[in-house]
Amino acid sequence: MTRAGASAPATVRPALGFLLPYAVGTLLLVVVPALLTFRYALTDYTGVGEPRYTGLDNVRRLGQDPFLRAALTASALHVVIAVPLRLLAATTLGLMLAAPRPGGRWYRAAVYLPTVVPDIALALLFLWVLNPLFGPLNGLLGALGLPQPAWLATTWGARLGVVLMLLLPIGEAFLVVLATRRQVNARLYEAAALDGAAPWQQLRHITLPLLAPVLVLLAVRDTVLTLQVNFVPAYVLTDGGPANATLYLPIYIYDQAFEFAAFGYGALLTAVLLLLTLLAVGLQLALVRRWRIVR
Amino acid sequence: MTLRLAGVRKSYGAVTALAGVDLEVGEGELLAVVGPSGSGKSTLLRVVAGLEPLTEGRVLIGGRDVTTLSPHRRDVAMVFQDYALYPHMTVRGNLSFGPRLRRQATTDTRERVERLSGQLGLAGLLDRYPDQLSGGQQQRVALARAMLREPRVYLFDEPLASLDAQLRAAARAEIVELHRRLGTTTLHVTHDQAEAMTVGDRVAVLADGALQQVGPPQQLYDEPANSFVARFLGSPPMNLLPGGGVLGGAAGTLVGVRPEDLELDPAGPIEGEVVVVEALGSETVLAVAVADHRLAVRTGPRAPQRPGERVRLVVDPARRHVFDVTTGARR
Repeated sequence: MTRAGASAPATVRPALGFLLPYAVGTLLLVVVPALLTFRYALTDYTGVGEPRYTGLDNVRRLGQDPFLRAALTASALHVVIAVPLRLLAATTLGLMLAAPRPGGRWYRAAVYLPTVVPDIALALLFLWVLNPLFGPLNGLLGALGLPQPAWLATTWGARLGVVLMLLLPIGEAFLVVLATRRQVNARLYEAAALDGAAPWQQLRHITLPLLAPVLVLLAVRDTVLTLQVNFVPAYVLTDGGPANATLYLPIYIYDQAFEFAAFGYGALLTAVLLLLTLLAVGLQLALVRRWRIVR
Repeated sequence: MTLRLAGVRKSYGAVTALAGVDLEVGEGELLAVVGPSGSGKSTLLRVVAGLEPLTEGRVLIGGRDVTTLSPHRRDVAMVFQDYALYPHMTVRGNLSFGPRLRRQATTDTRERVERLSGQLGLAGLLDRYPDQLSGGQQQRVALARAMLREPRVYLFDEPLASLDAQLRAAARAEIVELHRRLGTTTLHVTHDQAEAMTVGDRVAVLADGALQQVGPPQQLYDEPANSFVARFLGSPPMNLLPGGGVLGGAAGTLVGVRPEDLELDPAGPIEGEVVVVEALGSETVLAVAVADHRLAVRTGPRAPQRPGERVRLVVDPARRHVFDVTTGARR
């Protein structure tokens, strides 16, 4: 125990007791597997048998892997499109539905509802929604005289199809925005109205700046989620295709580790994904500081 | 610029917040509106500011009907009880937000912000955020924000309520001084009767959404229009007893005597027993039990009376107030 720990107030010791289960869980379920993954990353482990240390062979393979480039492109495009749109949807709906009005709870429930639908069910639903021939989306587009893309059969159709599906489960970000907006002192809007601020100016100068810290948090969280946790829906909806347009890194890692028996290489790809996630989050936080989004 | 409210009614569903208020604030006058919580005084202010639509009636500023105008077109400035400073802006940002929205020249605004903050003792604080300021400093920023507006009418919504007692007395004097210097028509809402009496050129007493009495502070104190005003103004409040009792008066009336108008007199007609002695330094308040009632008696400092002592009191008949027991109106 450090000297600071020794002089810590008496309330710290019981708190450590409460933290212990989480510390054990983190150690067993996150830290140990992560260390194992890093160790497997430099082996030819296939999932069975004994792993054999192969030095930097796997790293050299990264540079020559054409599928990795496709996977990186797919993941990058996905994050760049999906995160802003999901955030925009959650923020817009959160702000629109924050004010108490009759029936508001039903709208709020409706926005949150898709979030409790299991990924797999949502993906199966969207296989139907996006069906170019008898899906309701193209039916609607056709009725409006708009072009009816062959959603999951073209590269951009598939990319946007997955994004479209992921625009539904935004309940958590929606709730956070809603709760934050309700915390804002109503007097600020009255003061702004007296200062002559029109509604959009109040949004621009009062609401968004006060929401900024929370929006940054949500953006970081959504980046991590979108990069890493979109496996199930994308796997069911497109399985990486067509032409590897939706071969997101998690799918490619799964393919390598469990379909192609290259567990060691998959482990290295996992480390790459971790690094990329850190980079993306770091970039966001640097921009936040640079643009002084948060005081 | 005069401010006039004509037949102003405001209800929220079945609840009536303002039940037909007619009120005029004269050119350059500071009118203090006072009432207990829930009396509708804040609603009154918000109706004038345009933050709440009226159910009925009209609001006129300088003869112009502003009833349907949005808040910023009414040319009023408001100081809120919790100041409502924008927490994400510096003091400078808070002050120049309005002028910026009104597209006033930046250099001109900067100059006015500097000058005004100098006058209000905020000069070194312009780059601080509101949460880095003391309560008194925040209050002065809120005041400065209102002053930059150079409005035709100031609206103060309990601007001193969030300050501690010592600061409040100083700020009260500052407001009076400021009002004298600016000479702008001001509506000052407070729940504190002492504050209303000290800042107001005139005082309006509000209860249950209706005006009880409007007049100069001393007049309200000396000639309360009804038993509510009598009880509400003054500390300790006026002694009010049913007529025909120890304070005299006919049956069916309420008879009131202020604590300072009851005098200790060995030959006085009212006899009672001292129950509590409150020594306040500059004065002493005795609670005297007389028959089934208690009378508050104000006497000088260092009063020799002790609890349990029997005393005799006399009422100055010219200072006796008589109210109707059912309507409460002055007789």
